[in-house]
Amino acid sequence: MRRVSMIAVLMIMVSLSSFPALAQDKAETAAECGMKFAQPVLISSAGQSADVKLVGMMAKRMKLKAEVKVMAKPEDLEGMKTLIVVPGFSAKGLGAAGISQKDEMERVVALVEAANKQEIPILMIHIGGNARRKGQSDAFNELVAKNSKYMIVVEQGNEDGFFTELSKETGVKLETAEKIPGTMKPMKNLFE
Amino acid sequence: MTLEKKHISAAIILIAAAVISIITGRQFLAKHYPETFYPSPGLTRTGKLSDYFSGLQGTENDSRVYFFEGEEEGSTVLLLGGTHPNEAASGLVAVLVLENVEVTVGRLIVIPRANRSGFTVNDPMEAHPQYYSIPTPNGERRFKYGSRLTSPLDQWPDPLVYSHRPSGQRLSGFETRNLNRAYPGRPDGSLTEKTAYGIVQLIKKENVNVAFDLHEAAPEIPIINAIVYHEKAEEVALNAIFELEMEGISVSPELSPSNFHGLSHREWGDYTDVYPFLMETSNPIQGRLRGETSAELIVEGVSPEYRMALESGALQIAYKETGEPIERRVARHVTCFRRVIEAYNQLGNKPVILENLPEYEDILQNGVGAYIVAGK
Repeated sequence: MRRVSMIAVLMIMVSLSSFPALAQDKAETAAECGMKFAQPVLISSAGQSADVKLVGMMAKRMKLKAEVKVMAKPEDLEGMKTLIVVPGFSAKGLGAAGISQKDEMERVVALVEAANKQEIPILMIHIGGNARRKGQSDAFNELVAKNSKYMIVVEQGNEDGFFTELSKETGVKLETAEKIPGTMKPMKNLFE
Repeated sequence: MTLEKKHISAAIILIAAAVISIITGRQFLAKHYPETFYPSPGLTRTGKLSDYFSGLQGTENDSRVYFFEGEEEGSTVLLLGGTHPNEAASGLVAVLVLENVEVTVGRLIVIPRANRSGFTVNDPMEAHPQYYSIPTPNGERRFKYGSRLTSPLDQWPDPLVYSHRPSGQRLSGFETRNLNRAYPGRPDGSLTEKTAYGIVQLIKKENVNVAFDLHEAAPEIPIINAIVYHEKAEEVALNAIFELEMEGISVSPELSPSNFHGLSHREWGDYTDVYPFLMETSNPIQGRLRGETSAELIVEGVSPEYRMALESGALQIAYKETGEPIERRVARHVTCFRRVIEAYNQLGNKPVILENLPEYEDILQNGVGAYIVAGK
């Protein structure tokens, strides 16, 4: 009888301990979790891919009060209420900016630290799919994901569960979209 | 008796050498015969690159230029295929367009073989085929498969270090024969620089507004399934990419670096008024992991070695389980080309209206051969 009780207690404990993970697997959408971000918004890159420009274009189409600064620095956060960071490495982008990968990482770390210090929430939007994963991209992806309050990711970029794992690890909400235009809906919900 | 045997052996060797020389000589000569194209009824005139720079007259790179002019005035578009003759989809798309297109507004200029010299040779040590064939409803059509670079028979020797003019950027010596490192070109330079100069003169004299340079790259190259654009053409590029995404065609936007010289997406934009776009698709035969190298690999794009790499997850590659067939690569280029022009039109510029070009799904379903004339 004691053995049966012990097994029952153990089973309940295992169930309880796994409950948050299960809840995390079923990611809530922006609308469901009620999370909101405020405007004005600073949109910047982490890795200098031109994806940041596409996010800027979508923000413009949604009439968000937003400013795109691909090379944003901590001082650019003044007056901003949200920081959107679009991670993804591009060698051509770094060339266009005239900086090295190390310079870019230092810039992003400084920007993220400043946002955290000023309690400006970070929204990560990863739209580059496979092309902005692994290789030199994942260091930027991980840094931004771990410091964000919410992640919107185009599914192709999460085929291996990279962002799902980061979401489980950090508790940061993750919402995926099938294609880039599909990221506009959660963005809109978050800023309504 | 021994002497006779020697004579017989010598005669056999001489005959074998002569037979091999004749066969290979004929193959070599055949690579120099120009390919035949069958322009659509929309063709209004043809010209040559030497019309824009006389220094190309009589050279292998005095390429044919095809004009399609609408009845209504509008903008002018340039489509360049065959900058790198080992990037099959590039030249094939230019052929598909010139054999189908009807222009109602504005003008389209097509140069299907930008570096014709590169089509006369193959890259050494690559085991590339000399030709590949596309099945059409009326038989196979054969196309030349060439080298990334201008033939060393037309431009030799390579310097140890290639110094790009006028930037002074230094690259490996062989890049001196790379057309897409030679822009804006020089009238008194190498054949490759002269070719680049001729193309830039054409862009200027014909007042080209939008220009495309089509490419392919190995699946492991980071800039793939991408549109590289000059900063002044950013709005057009982003709007086109957004529309492509709506259709389910993923394209990476890539901004042209201002400090990487000689490339079309940089120098065309810097030295002329044109909006330049360079497009890339994934071609397994150009990759290091490709394994068996054949004409089928160019067309079918199926490589077991790349599939292994994909399944291992160790590499970031642009390769699908079903391969990267020429249909998909051509369909991507044609669709991206069309959407960029549409975005350009929608942003309030003087329009260019191209008709009778197949949609993405049409090419996938019917094959490229349904849209080109069978060879004769």
